[in-house]
Amino acid sequence: MNRNRRQFLRDLGLSAGALPFVAGLPSLGAVGEARKQRLIIVFSPNGTLPGNFWPDQPGPLATLRPILEPLAPFKERMLLLKGLANRVGGDGDGHMRGMSCLLTGDKLLPGNIQGGSHTPAGWASSISIDQELKNFLQGREATRTRFGSLEFGVAVPDRADPWTRMVYAGSNKPVAPVDDPYQMLGKLYGSVQDKETLGSILDDLGDDLETVARRISAEDRRFLEDHLALVRSLEAELQRETTKDLVHPEPELDPNIELVNDNTPRISRMQIDLLVNAMANDMTRIATLQFMRSVGQARMRWLDIEEGHHSLSHEPDKNEEAQKKLLRINHWFAGEVAHLAARLRDTPEPGGPGSMLDHTTILWTNELGKGNSHSHHDIPFVLLGNGAGFRMGRSLDFGGTPHNRLWLTIADAFGHHLGHFGQESLCAGGPLDLA
Amino acid sequence: MRAIFALLSIVLPAVLPSCREAPAPQTGAALYAQQCAACHGANGEGVADEYDEPLWGSESPAALARYIHKSMPEGDETAVVDDEAALVAAYIHDAFYSPEARARRRPPRVELTRLTNNQFRQSLVDLIGSFYRVPDITRRGGLSARYFNSEKMAKQKTHVLDRVDPAVDFDFGTGSPAPGVTQKAFSITWSGSILAPESGHYQFRLRTRNGATLHLNSVAGEGGGSWSEGAFIDAYVSSNNEVRERTGRMFLLGGRAYPLHLEFFSYQEERSLIRLEWKPPHGTWSPVPPEQLSPDRGAPLAVISTPFPPDDRSLGYERGSSISGQWHEAATTGAVEAVNLIVKHLGQLVGEDGRDDPEKLKSFCFTFADRAFRRPLDAGQRRFFVARHFEDSPPEAALRKSLLLTLTSPRFLYPGLCENDGPPDHHTVAARLALGLWDSLPDDSLREAAARGRLGDIEKVRNYAGHMMRDPRTRQKVREFFHHWLAMDEREDLGKDPDLFPGFDPLVIADLRTSLERFIEDVVWSEASDYRELLRADYLFLNDRLAGFYEAPPLPEAGFVKVTLPGEPRAGVLTHPFLLSANAYHDNTSPIHRGVFLSQNILGRLLKPPPEAIAFKNDDFDPSLTMREKVTELTREESCMQCHAVINPIGFSLENFDAVGRFRTEENRKPLNTVSDYVTGDDRAVRLASARDLAALAIESPSAHRALVSHLFHHLIKQSPEAYAPGTVDSLREKFVESGYNMRELIVEVVVRASLHPRAGARTAAAAPNP
Repeated sequence: MNRNRRQFLRDLGLSAGALPFVAGLPSLGAVGEARKQRLIIVFSPNGTLPGNFWPDQPGPLATLRPILEPLAPFKERMLLLKGLANRVGGDGDGHMRGMSCLLTGDKLLPGNIQGGSHTPAGWASSISIDQELKNFLQGREATRTRFGSLEFGVAVPDRADPWTRMVYAGSNKPVAPVDDPYQMLGKLYGSVQDKETLGSILDDLGDDLETVARRISAEDRRFLEDHLALVRSLEAELQRETTKDLVHPEPELDPNIELVNDNTPRISRMQIDLLVNAMANDMTRIATLQFMRSVGQARMRWLDIEEGHHSLSHEPDKNEEAQKKLLRINHWFAGEVAHLAARLRDTPEPGGPGSMLDHTTILWTNELGKGNSHSHHDIPFVLLGNGAGFRMGRSLDFGGTPHNRLWLTIADAFGHHLGHFGQESLCAGGPLDLA
Repeated sequence: MRAIFALLSIVLPAVLPSCREAPAPQTGAALYAQQCAACHGANGEGVADEYDEPLWGSESPAALARYIHKSMPEGDETAVVDDEAALVAAYIHDAFYSPEARARRRPPRVELTRLTNNQFRQSLVDLIGSFYRVPDITRRGGLSARYFNSEKMAKQKTHVLDRVDPAVDFDFGTGSPAPGVTQKAFSITWSGSILAPESGHYQFRLRTRNGATLHLNSVAGEGGGSWSEGAFIDAYVSSNNEVRERTGRMFLLGGRAYPLHLEFFSYQEERSLIRLEWKPPHGTWSPVPPEQLSPDRGAPLAVISTPFPPDDRSLGYERGSSISGQWHEAATTGAVEAVNLIVKHLGQLVGEDGRDDPEKLKSFCFTFADRAFRRPLDAGQRRFFVARHFEDSPPEAALRKSLLLTLTSPRFLYPGLCENDGPPDHHTVAARLALGLWDSLPDDSLREAAARGRLGDIEKVRNYAGHMMRDPRTRQKVREFFHHWLAMDEREDLGKDPDLFPGFDPLVIADLRTSLERFIEDVVWSEASDYRELLRADYLFLNDRLAGFYEAPPLPEAGFVKVTLPGEPRAGVLTHPFLLSANAYHDNTSPIHRGVFLSQNILGRLLKPPPEAIAFKNDDFDPSLTMREKVTELTREESCMQCHAVINPIGFSLENFDAVGRFRTEENRKPLNTVSDYVTGDDRAVRLASARDLAALAIESPSAHRALVSHLFHHLIKQSPEAYAPGTVDSLREKFVESGYNMRELIVEVVVRASLHPRAGARTAAAAPNP
């Protein structure tokens, strides 16, 4: 973002100095702890096109259908889960329940938000799986990180309702994704930037104090001498610190990207860079990346599509023009997931063997199985990476099993053995066998 | 709970060997040297292991002589008596005991001080605010409300009604909020400003069964950027139509208006309810009162939220007289916070087209430093603080460096460093006026007056100060003066024993504070602005709740109303129930607390710390005794009475008011005796029988006037008045009396004098070149 700052830091031989009064920086994960695992849940909205998504038969993955084609390089490290259904039910329209029951597996509270059909509803009534795992990891010294979890967004409209939130810290406690990369950069590295600016002026400030002190009476000068001593000690403190804290340097973000619809592709890549960077520096092991929102009307002009995504998703199957556009849209989302996977694959695991992808599970999903029917059946679940120790390179069909059991499985892989998650009646049979 | 209190005394205990054999010297100085100096030091400074307290106070020579005659030297009390005692008393009074003598011996000087924490925050709000329009908010009485017959806000065709709502406190139950609005689906927006009565952390609470979002100190909701991130309190999604509470906390500077925008909607819900409450500093949870709301929308303010360690108050007023590592950390973090705010809202400050224009950013930095340093930069400073950064770094980095260097510079943090030597120039006068009346930086108008050389003579300066008196920042500073002078913030909990004083709850206490503030504002900002009225007014400001508790007749209107309670001899602040309660025990009055407070703060008597701390234990006394009898018994020792002769009569004169300030005529079924004889600092005996006698005493007493002048000077200027010229307090006092005790004129006079004071040489850096 600021080349000069780096220049300056090199000149001074310091970076990321820790001042006592700004938030502590991430430290390198202790070597020798139990195998490190991460989870990244990626969301894209408005259902998929089943015919262009699912393979004809369960079994080893052969040729991928068109939507998944960008993920071909990861075929051997990919698992497709068909036949999982969001069977939660209750208040709220299909999109609302699709979104807010997706990671919680539990009903919505009654409320005042009315959708296009069905009854009005409120927020989710229980915690989402990512937050459950965050609490689990933060509860133990060995897996505790600075943030515990990070919630990224891309082009999420500035509104708070059950269509726009999938992460919940608990009943009635939605967690908003940060869809501004600059805000996220500030959250991750803001204090570092401030320290750098501060480090760059302290010498001048000392000179200024000395200049001023020479001109005043001896009695008053003592005051400024004390002040000067404090400035010099701050300077020394900054200089003692080195770059040892960060394994990976702060990413350079293009500083002039406006947060508008048409910049979505660039914002997406910036967020993915920040996400990978934050995980490389072990600031978090759990992340969500939410594209738009359920019923989102993103106009993907970068794909030559002028209509809003949600409106397109309502078009009947026989509207071929709409089908083509929806294919391009979902293909684009798959490309972003592939980019995320590639970034992880190309980054060596800090302090461990292999790449980051070997220690990470990406889970890409949607609030609906199919857009124009608002179906909660066959919700697309794509798992990527080798973090969880599942047997990859295949496709499975669970024939309508409640998706709550998938969350039990993921938790299990982290060593967190939950008896049930979300609605208890939907957990019968326990974790799925993916190994 | 029994409060522990300290008895106060001027006792001068000393053990001195007798020196009888020497011939009696004839001067006070010689007598002192021979009889007293061994324990008290050659100049009354004290002697370690003997009597180490310095000998100074406010007693008259006659009172000192009586004391020496009777009690000194300790162990040989007959060694110095009668005429010799008078000689010694006159000598020490003149040589080092009296305040005048002390000032003469060690003349105070105008010290270099840094901005106080409050001045730091105020200066930043105004410095950043000088780059965009901050409208004056004058209307009061509620928020602009818009009602819509639909759950969608701002849908023009469903817009039904506009009005001003005095508060957001509605339980619509199962009904409609207004004619023409269906219960099934409606929405309301309230917008305007909230006025913070004092500086500190405010808590806000939104209670609703439905959907609501509160924006505070931001401009969200109607376009434009915002100073805070998104909604301050988000309760947009309801839950089962149940009442939910959402709270938020924000640091606000007093005397300023913050934009507020509240959106509310109810959709297919049986019941509707919305309430906006706050808990201001020193207050309790209540709906935000209409006086603190305006239907006009202000601009967001850059209030720095970095916490600061408290400023030095060892002399009784806040001043920037010390620096610590903690303060340095806070000031540095605060500067970083300010720079981040500026960068985030750069578009609003330099114009959207200026964000990426290095020339515009540079010019912003020049202006910023000019304003921060309270005078235009010279060529060397322009280069040091601004220009060279833009040569070395990309624009945004240069901007950050320049702003941070400016805000951490001693030239910003120590206002005195920007002054010129000798008679003050126009910029110095402008800077001192702004600091004295606003605790802040010069505004556009003052800067222009300085630039055009319009602050050259005393009449013009007085005129400017007069204009500045109307600014809300002046009002705020004056309000804070009364908080200090009347020690309103020293006791945080005024609660009493609920069995003895049922109904004296936090709401009553919060209303009492408001009542006292209303009274003071009413007097100070009236035409006469008469100090005497503060002491002798026979009325109280009461609202319905207070009228009920203090058994007043029903009030003619809502809100706070002037009420004279029949048969009660009230006397302004002396008998205001807030102060009577603050200076009382949990279960009883405390004549000692009341006496100490009034003798020091109002009457200007200097009391020394007590020789020993003695706790007042109510249970030690016969329960049939009155409080007066108990205190008399407790303080009857001669060593106690040196001070309690002053304290007790004042406290006893207020015994007609119980621990919560209600009028009474008897205690323990015994008629109250409030009459005592009081000896003034200049040794006159006065009979005190009631609060009104006390008021009459304070009104005519020069030492009371001097106490007021000194307190006010300290509060406004944060320096000792005697540092400006010997006799400053007395000459201000004379003008004050001539003006008919006009408080506002006194304030102007104090600030004008300090602003025009010539600076001794060799203490300014205004022209200091930079490396």
